[in-house]
Amino acid sequence: MLKVDGVTCAYGKVMAVRDLTMEVRQGELVTLIGANGAGKTTTLKAISGVLAPVEGRIEFEGEDITGASARTVLEKGIAHCPEGRRIFPYMTVRENLEMGCFLRNDAQAIAKDMEKIFERFPILHERRAQAAGTLSGGEQQMLAISRALMSRPRLILFDEPSLGLAPNLVEQTFDIVEQIRSDGVTVVMVEQNALAALELCDRSYVLESGEVTLSGTGNQLLKNKKVQQAYLGG
Amino acid sequence: MDQLLQHFLNAMILGGTYALLGIGLTLIFGIMRVVNFTHGELYTFGAYMMFMFVMPLQTNFFLALLLAVMLGVALGALIEIMLLKPLRGADIDTTMLIMIGAWIAMQNMEQFVWSGIAKSINNPFPADPLVIGAVSVSWSRVFVFVVACALIAGTYALIQWTKLGKAMRATFQDTETAALMGVRINTVYIATFAIGSGLAAAAGALLGPIFVVYPTMGDMAALKSFAIVILGGLGSVGGATIGGFILAMMEELGAGYISSGYRDAMGFLLIIIILLFRPTGLFAQKERIG
Ligand SMILES: Nc1ncnc2c1ncn2[C@@H]1O[C@H](COP(=O)(O)OP(=O)(O)OP(=O)(O)O)[C@@H](O)[C@H]1O
Ligand SMILES: [Mg+2]
Repeated sequence: MLKVDGVTCAYGKVMAVRDLTMEVRQGELVTLIGANGAGKTTTLKAISGVLAPVEGRIEFEGEDITGASARTVLEKGIAHCPEGRRIFPYMTVRENLEMGCFLRNDAQAIAKDMEKIFERFPILHERRAQAAGTLSGGEQQMLAISRALMSRPRLILFDEPSLGLAPNLVEQTFDIVEQIRSDGVTVVMVEQNALAALELCDRSYVLESGEVTLSGTGNQLLKNKKVQQAYLGG
Repeated sequence: MDQLLQHFLNAMILGGTYALLGIGLTLIFGIMRVVNFTHGELYTFGAYMMFMFVMPLQTNFFLALLLAVMLGVALGALIEIMLLKPLRGADIDTTMLIMIGAWIAMQNMEQFVWSGIAKSINNPFPADPLVIGAVSVSWSRVFVFVVACALIAGTYALIQWTKLGKAMRATFQDTETAALMGVRINTVYIATFAIGSGLAAAAGALLGPIFVVYPTMGDMAALKSFAIVILGGLGSVGGATIGGFILAMMEELGAGYISSGYRDAMGFLLIIIILLFRPTGLFAQKERIG
């Protein structure tokens, strides 16, 4: 479904991702793990069109989307739920969800999707007319995930959705991600917590200073000595 | 007491157009981070368009107003596409210098085309003022007030409820994430600059027939716009609206009770006071843009 082939990204002269190759198949839940600054966020940005790669090729469902605008990538069916939630703080919860389906014109289907979201997250319904910046961290994360779903993506990119949440909310967030996948949406997720990321995923890529150093199924990587040492605390 | 009431009425009527100027400038600064030095020239442009349509071309007054505003919107879009778009990502000094250059060029163009002699514009309103008890106001000023209020309300509605308005607010709050939602940031910038310019042109087209029209009339308007924006808080549409009325009130009181020579000084006085005591503006804590 998604093929990233030899992609290199840089911020000015700073190389952030080097010759990265990865693949995601339809229906998979793939995670990216790695230390701070390894290039995980940059990889997602390159896929979603926030950042144009310097080199390499990105293909989605057989179409070349290398260097396409974020809008074009979204139109093709990829939604990006960015690092740090990035909800619009002065817009209401409902307006945030409306921004999520900015490119859609099917008012009736939008209303239905909105209803589904409100059923799934009653707290968002309760807070629908409230400025999103006044929500708690966990509620903001639910909103950010819901906003990404509102575009009806076929592939969704999550960048550390559990960041800064209390343990029980982290669990809940992972449950939501799994649910989304079982609803038929393919998922790529960046996650700091390597153990959770490997247990949850079908396959995972390990990034180290901008390069993929290891990849495999969650189980394979959980048993891998290097991974255990570097990411699972021995 | 009657005199105070009269000042208050005058201030309300002038405040409407000041609010238009302030909203236009604060929208552009808030969303695009551009200090728009051409704002006053758009005001002048609106006034000259009004003059051109009503006087030599004998167009219907109300149609002329509509045309003047629309041409202001178009000129704003043109400035954005020709001058600002190529400067995207440039630092603020470069952008400011270019805008100052555009301001000087536009002012000289106006002088070249219409000469430095002040022009007056006829209006179709009855000469007898509207008298309410002890206060009176000319019909032409009532018209200015009504149109200004309608434009303010229209701008609010646009920002609050339309898709473009939501895209503008999202861009203001988080440009990168707005782009992720599929917002065309360039289009938002062009629309913002065009709307802001249209509001300045509207203020000029409304006040042109009340005062006289001359090439440097925009300088004072621009300074007052800056005062209003500083007063209301950068990027705050609500603040600019209230700021417009406060400045008008101060001018009226200053001119009425101190000396009419102090009218235009009030804007500067206001800037000094605000910067001393509340540098983020009166409404800085409130929601910005809408
Ligand atoms: N906007 C930027 N400008 C310059 N350098 C950047 C920028 N964003 C990221 N970098 C650099 O690129 C490298 C990769 O950053 P990236 O954000 O992709 O890492 P990450 O794996 O997501 O890290 P984290 O786990 O901390 O989120 C880092 O060295 C970082 O300093
Ligand atoms: Mg990151």
